[in-house]
Amino acid sequence: MSRNTFYENFNSKEECFLATQKYALSTVLEQVVEAAGTLESWPQRVRAGLAAFLDSLAAEPALARTCMVEALSAGPAAVKYYEESQQAFVSLFRLGRDLSSSGPELPEALEEAIIGGVFWILYQRLAVAEAEAIPALLPELVEFTLTPYLGPQAAREIATAGDADGARTTSPR
Amino acid sequence: MASKNWPISQSGLRSSGSVSSVLLSDPLNPVESPDFPPELARLPPGRHGLPREFVAHNQRERLIAGLAEAVAENGYAGTTIAHITRHAAVSRRTFYEHFSSKDECFVAAYDTVMNELRKRVGDAFDQEDEWPQAVRAGIAAMLEFLTAEPHLARLSMVEALVAGPVVIERYDAAIQSLVPYFQAGRDGRPDEVLAGLSSTTEEALVGGMVSLISRRIFANRTEELESLLPDLVEFTLTPYLGSAEAAKVARES
Repeated sequence: MSRNTFYENFNSKEECFLATQKYALSTVLEQVVEAAGTLESWPQRVRAGLAAFLDSLAAEPALARTCMVEALSAGPAAVKYYEESQQAFVSLFRLGRDLSSSGPELPEALEEAIIGGVFWILYQRLAVAEAEAIPALLPELVEFTLTPYLGPQAAREIATAGDADGARTTSPR
Repeated sequence: MASKNWPISQSGLRSSGSVSSVLLSDPLNPVESPDFPPELARLPPGRHGLPREFVAHNQRERLIAGLAEAVAENGYAGTTIAHITRHAAVSRRTFYEHFSSKDECFVAAYDTVMNELRKRVGDAFDQEDEWPQAVRAGIAAMLEFLTAEPHLARLSMVEALVAGPVVIERYDAAIQSLVPYFQAGRDGRPDEVLAGLSSTTEEALVGGMVSLISRRIFANRTEELESLLPDLVEFTLTPYLGSAEAAKVARES
């Protein structure tokens, strides 16, 4: 592709980066919503959504690295978009409050903190180029995410439900 | 409730010696630590900017403080060496006697801020006998420092991310250095609690906490940071104490 073609499409390297990031993150989030949306119970939706997210990062490690690691040094707009994309998970996780006996008393910033934690773990793996190890993190991330809502025991049961059949057939509670 | 096991001092993660000795003097003759490192003494608490009344004599310190002022004003990308030397009131030549580039000066400033933050968190943590209270004290100290120094907060949590790979590496290491404070919470817990923790639990807790903090700073809502304390305490203690006990510690004042 010629330099001219680049400038016909983008004004700058930053603009091109933002377009890439936006495209990649929205594609991934679509996959997450699709995976989570087909299930009835909330804990299974969280598990399926996270599984789709981890799989898509592992499937495109270079793109994932661009969007989640390089993005942090690609200027304020890219950082902002990265931060905002995390917020997409907030509404999914927040539904867990309805299932939780202590729902109303849970900290206001809980979902933001959980998502920040999950993203940080993934960022760490991508930063050291260990994207292939990401899908195996599913049980511990599911457990980390569900524990505040369901308590450690119920969270562990869902997290460790066998991938062979458990993920989509185990009853939620 | 298990008592604290002082893991941090043992693992050497606490900053030893003063920041000024790390930055300024030869290691064989460390300067005794002042209450506040000179670079930061020029930047007293308050939201009124970065006043000039503390005139440091050391040029390197002045340049570091000058960079903090310039970055607060222009962002990292928009900061030039001329901005730094103007704020520091030194010549361009003096700048290059101490640093080869803006990046190098930023790294020095970043290290100064993070050493101070680490020291305050460590001291606060060490002053409590029980681990849950120590965690709360450490988080409170961090929030207090970042609230009192919004420019330094921005420098260390926002501008650091655009200041190149060397700083990002340090940023990552600084965040990971908080992990042992939480790992100490595993000590003496019953098996059923330990079974609920994974090898990445602490990383996730620290990442969650930092992302909450940095998002406020990014949005210029630094004044909200201290109100995050109960939520952060409850979030980080829950895996170890259960949500009821964690909520109780979070609400103690």
